[in-house]
Amino acid sequence: MTVSTVTMLIQLNFKSGKPAYLQVVDQFKSAAASGALRPGEPLPSIRPLAEQLRLNRNTVAKAYAELESQGIIETVAGKGCFVTENNSPFKKAVRQKMLSDDIDAAIVQAHHLQVNEKDFLELVTQRLGFFRQKSESNANNHNQKDKP
Amino acid sequence: MKTENPVIEISHLVRKFGRSDAVNDLSLRVDAGRCYGFFGRNGAGKTTTIKCLLNLLQPTSGTVRVFGLEPRGNEVEVKSRLAYVPDQVAFYPWMTVRETLDYLASFRQRWNRTTEKELLGQFRLDAGKKATALSKGQKTQLALIGAVCAEPDLLILDEPTSGLDPIVRREFIQTVIGAYQDAGAGQRTVFVSTHLITEFEGLIDEFTIIDNGKEALTLEADDARSRFRKIRARFAGTPPAIDFVAARNIKRDGRELEITVNGDAEMVLNRIKSMGPESLSMEGLTLEEIFVATLQ
Repeated sequence: MTVSTVTMLIQLNFKSGKPAYLQVVDQFKSAAASGALRPGEPLPSIRPLAEQLRLNRNTVAKAYAELESQGIIETVAGKGCFVTENNSPFKKAVRQKMLSDDIDAAIVQAHHLQVNEKDFLELVTQRLGFFRQKSESNANNHNQKDKP
Repeated sequence: MKTENPVIEISHLVRKFGRSDAVNDLSLRVDAGRCYGFFGRNGAGKTTTIKCLLNLLQPTSGTVRVFGLEPRGNEVEVKSRLAYVPDQVAFYPWMTVRETLDYLASFRQRWNRTTEKELLGQFRLDAGKKATALSKGQKTQLALIGAVCAEPDLLILDEPTSGLDPIVRREFIQTVIGAYQDAGAGQRTVFVSTHLITEFEGLIDEFTIIDNGKEALTLEADDARSRFRKIRARFAGTPPAIDFVAARNIKRDGRELEITVNGDAEMVLNRIKSMGPESLSMEGLTLEEIFVATLQ
């Protein structure tokens, strides 16, 4: 994956109130979940990505360290960082607990935005469908590119 | 990530010009490896402070330390470890770009020729051209090459991008991140004074806003962006009175209410919600918006 492709995937928003390194982490995770980044694919090294995003080098380094600790990417000595083969280093119970925290945050937000349970569940189904579709179309694109 | 030995430590700095105070009781510290923003309006005291760091001015009272040393009396030790790019750069008019860089290099213990060649190419600077024939943007680029090639532990930038075109500004910042920051294994420190805050937003770890020579706000950039919120509400009639401590910069316009909050935004949001607005929204603030909100 080239730097310019990655900078198209990552859009920083300094009005979101979310730390920049977490924005980079979440957008890489989203790209990996939707198949825009495939397992085994190399990530750009820290310097060109930091330059392109005009983001502190240490912020990008921190994001990569976080992605590695979450098992999304792995570093191969002398070769750089790669997307892992969807093997989370955490046990299933731990993974579910981590996801529960995020779901709780969404439920709290739904309450404040006056979104009721039925609409919330519909939205979840709709978003799952969105990622499934994106993943399928990304897979098709990759297959077409792979053909000679 | 506070270390025992800050790269810059300013303590109760006062600098008077005649009877007026350019800097009045300013304190701040910059740790190694950080990119520190020093924000203020024109005439707030930014350049005076920087000149005290460089021993170009003496403090009227208070202390200034760079690498733990007083710049006065340790000028060579301090200056050999830092580089400085001012907003108005000047070179000897009879020297070419090549001669200027050789002249700058002659004062330095280290000089990275590879970086020099790379940056000359990237900025498309003609080494044979006289320094006087360069545009303002090219002069700044030359000064930046001179600063980065010396591989200093500290890079001090005073309004470095004011008056430059957007492309040159972008390349300037990319060079600070790439050629300068990347080489030092997280130990390269940047101290940048600017009022073009948006451009440096992604680079800044921590900042101080200076106003009339005094510190108005010092925060980590991420903390600042998570603390400040703008809340907008529209009511059926005139908006009710707001008297919360956390609310500042309250603007009313007809049925609209806009409040900037520093701190407990959830509380303010819930209080306003209980007043029954027709619509209610909340968004974050960029560092530039935080700067404006602080000085309003």
